[in-house]
Amino acid sequence: MLDVTDLHIEIEDSLIPETVVYDFDLTVGAGEIVGIVGESGSGKSMSALAIAGLLSRRDMKKHGSITFEGNELLTMNRSMLRRIQGDDIAVVFQEPMTSLNPVKTIGWQVEEALRIHRDLSDEELKRAAVKMLDDVEIPDPEGCYHKYPHELSGGMRQRVMIAAALICDPKLLIADEPTTALDVTIQAQIIELLKKINREKGTAILFISHDLSLVRTLCSRVVVMNKGRIVESGPVEDVFAHPKEEYTRQLIGAIPKFEKIAGVTYHPDRKPILEVSHVSARYRKVTGYFRPNSKPKQVVSDVSFTMYEGEIMGLVGESGSGKTTLGKTILGMLDDTEGKIVHYSQMPQMIFQDPYGSLNPTKTVGRILEEPLRIKGGYTAAERLAMAKDMLGLVGLDETYLKRKPNALSGGQRQRVCIALALMLGPKLIIADEPVSALDVTVQEQVLNLLIKVNRELGVAILFISHDLKVVYELCSRMIVMKSGQIVEQGTDDEIYNNPRHPYTQQLLSSAGYVNR
Amino acid sequence: MKTAVRKAAAFIITVLLVTLFVFIAFELIPGDAATAKLGTSATPEAYEALREELGLTRPFFVRYFSWLFSFFFGDMGTSYSYGVSVRSMLASKLPITLTLTLMSFVMIIILSIPIGVLSSKYEDRAGAKALDVLGQLTMSVPPFFLGILITYFFGMVLRLFTPGGFVSYDVNPVRFAAYLFFPSLAIALPKAAMSIKLLKTSILSERKLDYVRTAYSRGNSSMDVMYKHVLKNAIIPVITFLGMTLADIVAGSLVIEQVFSIPGYGRLLITSISNRDYPVVQAIIAIIAMLVIIINLIVDVLYQVMDPRLRGN
Repeated sequence: MLDVTDLHIEIEDSLIPETVVYDFDLTVGAGEIVGIVGESGSGKSMSALAIAGLLSRRDMKKHGSITFEGNELLTMNRSMLRRIQGDDIAVVFQEPMTSLNPVKTIGWQVEEALRIHRDLSDEELKRAAVKMLDDVEIPDPEGCYHKYPHELSGGMRQRVMIAAALICDPKLLIADEPTTALDVTIQAQIIELLKKINREKGTAILFISHDLSLVRTLCSRVVVMNKGRIVESGPVEDVFAHPKEEYTRQLIGAIPKFEKIAGVTYHPDRKPILEVSHVSARYRKVTGYFRPNSKPKQVVSDVSFTMYEGEIMGLVGESGSGKTTLGKTILGMLDDTEGKIVHYSQMPQMIFQDPYGSLNPTKTVGRILEEPLRIKGGYTAAERLAMAKDMLGLVGLDETYLKRKPNALSGGQRQRVCIALALMLGPKLIIADEPVSALDVTVQEQVLNLLIKVNRELGVAILFISHDLKVVYELCSRMIVMKSGQIVEQGTDDEIYNNPRHPYTQQLLSSAGYVNR
Repeated sequence: MKTAVRKAAAFIITVLLVTLFVFIAFELIPGDAATAKLGTSATPEAYEALREELGLTRPFFVRYFSWLFSFFFGDMGTSYSYGVSVRSMLASKLPITLTLTLMSFVMIIILSIPIGVLSSKYEDRAGAKALDVLGQLTMSVPPFFLGILITYFFGMVLRLFTPGGFVSYDVNPVRFAAYLFFPSLAIALPKAAMSIKLLKTSILSERKLDYVRTAYSRGNSSMDVMYKHVLKNAIIPVITFLGMTLADIVAGSLVIEQVFSIPGYGRLLITSISNRDYPVVQAIIAIIAMLVIIINLIVDVLYQVMDPRLRGN
């Protein structure tokens, strides 16, 4: 049905043309699910967008051929192409938060492709949209029809995106990282939904993802891409069981697999470093000067736990569970809190999720690292420089990085700088809030190894906040599971993973694909 | 309902504060209505008598609150210098200033939306770039100077209108509107240039957002993407600007009225200030303040109509 041969994509940016995809070949048969896997910058999304006809013709030069049911899409004129877009080929994008138009109703957007491609009355449109919303398992489809995107959760929006894509009963659905922005339990539901659609409607799916385990559960064939080229392709089980290329092996090896990184153990006889007892936190939403506080929103309620010196403790929960708020509360960053927090060492430092937004882009790395020392005072310029240099060495960057600015660094390098920054004042506890979730798997592994090194060599305790149970398993000896602001379960890794008592923990583990051993 | 009460309270407080400030300002500047009327050569006795007659000897707050009380019931007092009711003076001039304001506002909208859309569509073309430069130029010229240029070019060279030949609306409404066309243009051009630039930037940044790609993926033509998706989102920041602009025009038209010799609120305000004729000044300023607040209310409502994310709460 879809045949791509010898596709090259070149970005004609002002001066230097850059080829981002080379020699790309792909076939998707009717009703088939094919995966494209690769890390960021591998060209997987570019290829998918080219197939969907969504790359600008002016700035992107494409050679080769993309045929869909015998028609060449690359050279087809735009009005012909538009008849296929949304009707025969539909796309679901990664970010359900931003991929829907914020000022149009859900109903309007779900109907849109139908309105463009078929000649139906308003009533027929509405009936089709409501039925479609029902098909993607949205509760109260009639009510949802009149809502706006901001009134729905991320998972619901992604269902809406899928409903809008499927409304014209397309032959090919291109799904570009459709679950990456979603929580694990929601992710599992969306994957189930895609499987059901494929089974019941016979829609072929081209599934683009960085997540190899997802591709393995969903697709029958897979294409592995790296740096714009196809590294390997074939039936999913062949590629996973017998990867022919080194890169594929690396990629498969880097998947967190519920395996302990050697040497991380729990020490019950250590001294406590942090005691949190009966802590609650609220957010007040400021709505206007005449009503400074509407209802305060309870984000963390009655949380108690203790951390010990030198341990790595996991704090697991889905978005909205209050895990980040708890981290901020421990650091004293919030006003409206209750309960008692005792620090047995100096204030902990924090590492944030987004290494792109966390560093001031106008300052050099050296300047950024020296800043806490400068604020604390009592160091000479030479001492500060020496300390910054040492710290960079510890996180695996040489001193040439002192003079660079953050945007000259990759995501992984930035996160190393963030870790170095957190360590500058020699804290005994670090709160790491999703430190690897914005990074590619291979980079993720390196950063995790660095955190373990920091833990072992400097004896720094780490409160590791994450939604990813695999990563937490690799790293942590004890963990806390949070849901809706409360701790539902806490214990050692063995207790949590092998004897989960709370149904929510059980659900999280099964969504993450953990098999009890 | 709660919102309505809050807005009404804000409205009343703002008008109170604005008028109080004007009263205080008149206390602070030297001279009063009596000196303005009698000149400096009058005897102190005549001066005191006139002050007594005008009620200027009463304490400050008594004067303020008695003014406020009557204003609240629609009585704006009597002009010190003309001896006629302020209300009738203002009522006859209201259509002039209002027409000028609305005409220029409509011009801003008519100019900026199509030009903004087109210049974002053809952003790389030479024409759009030339338009950018022209816009930059227009923005940097103050309206009164633009008024002078327009008077010279359209009035003296092309003779499309007679400078100073204002015709009142009750004499000949068509010639009245025709005369106001050029002053409105002088007010509108710099604002339109800004709003074009704002709309263009807003469209360009909206076009990069993910939902635009989604719209294309459903088979929309680029025209449909613009009119059904992008424009409504892009216009939201422009509405704020237009709201502020409308308030600004009300004030800005005062200057243009001087340049084009239009007997609207502007000229009346300026003469009344030099005559220390506070009933007139107070009334004009209170009316302008109320207009500005009403405009802001309309903008708030428009905002909620345009952006569902701001509704509810």
